[in-house]
Amino acid sequence: MTHHTAKERPVCLNALVNLTDRTVEYIETPPEIIRKFLGGRGLNMYYLYKYLKPDCDPLSPDNLLIIGNGLLTGMLIPNSGRHSVTCKSPESGIIGDANIGGFFGPEMRFAGIDRLIIRGRAASPVYLYLEDGRVEIRDAGPYWGLTCSETYARLKRDLGSDVEVECIGPAGENMVRFACTRYGVKNAAGRCGTGAVWGSKNLKAIVARGNLGLPAADPEGMLAKYVELRDYLKKSKVINVMGRVGTPLLYDVSNYLGAIRTHNSQQTVFFNTMNAEEVHKYVEKMLSCYGCVVHCRHRNKLGGEGPEYTTEGLLGANIGVADTYRMIELNNLANDLGLDVSSAGTYIAWAIELYERGYINKETAGCELRFGDYPVLRQLLVDIAYRRGFGDVLAEGSRLVDKFGKETADFLIAVKGLPQSDPHDVRYLKAFALGIATSSRGADHLRSRPTLEILDLPSEVRRQIYGAPIDPNPTSYNTKGRVVYFSENIFATIDCLGICKFICLGFNSPRNLNYTHFKDLIRLAYGLEFTEQELEEVGRRVVDLERLLNYQMKGITRKDDTLPARYFDEPMPSARAKGSHIDRAGFNKMLDDYYALRGWDSNGMLPEERVAELNALRGLS
Amino acid sequence: MPKQKQIYARPDLCAGCRTCANACALVHRGATNPRLGAIRIRQDLVERYEFQEICRHCDEPPCVDACMVGCITKDPKTGLVIQDQSRCVGCWMCLMVCPYGAIKRDVVREVAIKCDRCGDRKVPACVEVCPTGALVLEVREDAPVEPFFTEPTVAD
Repeated sequence: MTHHTAKERPVCLNALVNLTDRTVEYIETPPEIIRKFLGGRGLNMYYLYKYLKPDCDPLSPDNLLIIGNGLLTGMLIPNSGRHSVTCKSPESGIIGDANIGGFFGPEMRFAGIDRLIIRGRAASPVYLYLEDGRVEIRDAGPYWGLTCSETYARLKRDLGSDVEVECIGPAGENMVRFACTRYGVKNAAGRCGTGAVWGSKNLKAIVARGNLGLPAADPEGMLAKYVELRDYLKKSKVINVMGRVGTPLLYDVSNYLGAIRTHNSQQTVFFNTMNAEEVHKYVEKMLSCYGCVVHCRHRNKLGGEGPEYTTEGLLGANIGVADTYRMIELNNLANDLGLDVSSAGTYIAWAIELYERGYINKETAGCELRFGDYPVLRQLLVDIAYRRGFGDVLAEGSRLVDKFGKETADFLIAVKGLPQSDPHDVRYLKAFALGIATSSRGADHLRSRPTLEILDLPSEVRRQIYGAPIDPNPTSYNTKGRVVYFSENIFATIDCLGICKFICLGFNSPRNLNYTHFKDLIRLAYGLEFTEQELEEVGRRVVDLERLLNYQMKGITRKDDTLPARYFDEPMPSARAKGSHIDRAGFNKMLDDYYALRGWDSNGMLPEERVAELNALRGLS
Repeated sequence: MPKQKQIYARPDLCAGCRTCANACALVHRGATNPRLGAIRIRQDLVERYEFQEICRHCDEPPCVDACMVGCITKDPKTGLVIQDQSRCVGCWMCLMVCPYGAIKRDVVREVAIKCDRCGDRKVPACVEVCPTGALVLEVREDAPVEPFFTEPTVAD
């Protein structure tokens, strides 16, 4: 047992849990590794690189499940409640990594554990209990089979209302390849099927009770900084609107442009029933995660939380459900079952189109599949989570390309085996399209979401942000490689720090927190000095390491940094974005620019020196 | 005695971020953890509520009477109910008698955690950091003015 008083507390204490042998070992991360990766996603990747056999089966005991807090998680810093859940993804076969808010991460740190590195498989269902710097493996028999919110409530009832619980629902237990990790009612480490890895290890939940304080190097300075940043952020229009209505504010914007993924991206305009003001009729209150100044999470009147813009798109427009109430019902259902709504909505829409095109028949699907057929689609969602009937088939996700036929891949809106998360059809915004293609975990907007350059900013401001002149035309292919390069780096650094992207530069507003703020916050928290360049370099290093991992796991190179065929070949059908598509030559140019900035070769491979450098870091204990 | 400013909680505005409790812990302990702050956010995401539990600095504080070592006292000048934590023995009697659930436990050091309304700060830390205005420091005129000490009454 390790028990650290505040003064002796290491910056990062990791617990290595072997569920097969039921052993726990505690290791501290050396200071020189913290300087290179900070924490969160970065250190998770470091430990994945250090301990994982890249060719392992993601659902075997050999896979690692790493739950790691950011360097600033739990501090008195705006929106510092996030941590990352990392593994080899059972959905895509490359890195699986998802970031989650709520209150679990901070509680874990207060319990004295900054990161869990879990391997093996328990003989029967277990949960982990964290308190006072130690980890216990406990029987989870009574909780197996419960939905996410039931698990959360029952564990709190049994262990005390002051514990925090992260868990999986039926989808994770049944190893649905796009099951998510859940905190509370809605917060999710949603992407890449992390929940299936919990299920494969017979791990139902992790409970933390945090009695220990996280010492701050400069408490008064930290308090003053919090007040300063809060007041600064609250002046932002976007943050204010986000706090009033949440992410649904983005729906109308995309829909007006004619860029809402509708009916599996065959169409791009949908009903205005998903507009923020419509959704808001069903909202009871807006809630915060730990330390949050934005409060963008809805408590809805249908008994759940949400919906996000992502759910409106993917369990609304994309599958043809236009009724606001029904869409929110699907949202609550998917949350409770523990499904990634982005992947689920994409696969269901894909299956419907395949049905329309005759790749799937009634016999396979068990019934007719039609866009907007709410009762059937609702049942399908449940069947996926419990792996029943056609749901059992769809639960295999992007691997079904092998079953349905190679040509069906052209209709799947996915990259590197992971469906696109953002409901925005990226054929119009070229930088956004590149970001989806290069994202290290597959098609995902939270690896870069490069949309700042199209705001009406003076060219000097753009130059300041990106470090070079940037073309503000969203449909131009020029300079977009740099836009994505910048955004990916800062998003990676943010994920290493454990702060929410909604208050950081690159996401919707040019005024939000940047490397200079991060530098100040790290000093106030730990007394550690970093330069802005060092912090950006961390992000770059993490992206490089992820690239190396992806190459080792699945041979990811340039051929994989691509887009769904539809984005290249079919022009957008409606509204302002009508006629837009991604030109292959233009796309290749963007990719060349991007590789050059990263220092990768034209095939998208890391230079040997960089591989050697990362290897040397791996050798450190 | 002039009326003191009180911390008032507006639970409807509370989004549950726990920053108030975290700031309390930071200024009193030099470390973050909402559990170690004197204010508590009661939240249940499934039962769907959140509200603040905070010391009222009662006119007739039961905790003062209950404290067996006498480390909680009411300051006659400021009206604040103050605890001398160095003398606390962790018997938890104050927790049990507080009608507002406003005293907490530090289970590591085995002492009670109680609000001192940040006597040395212009504005208490919890009020200063609240991002939604769910905590306010003010004098409320509509609150009935009560004599500081009342004569003991005898039931009829």
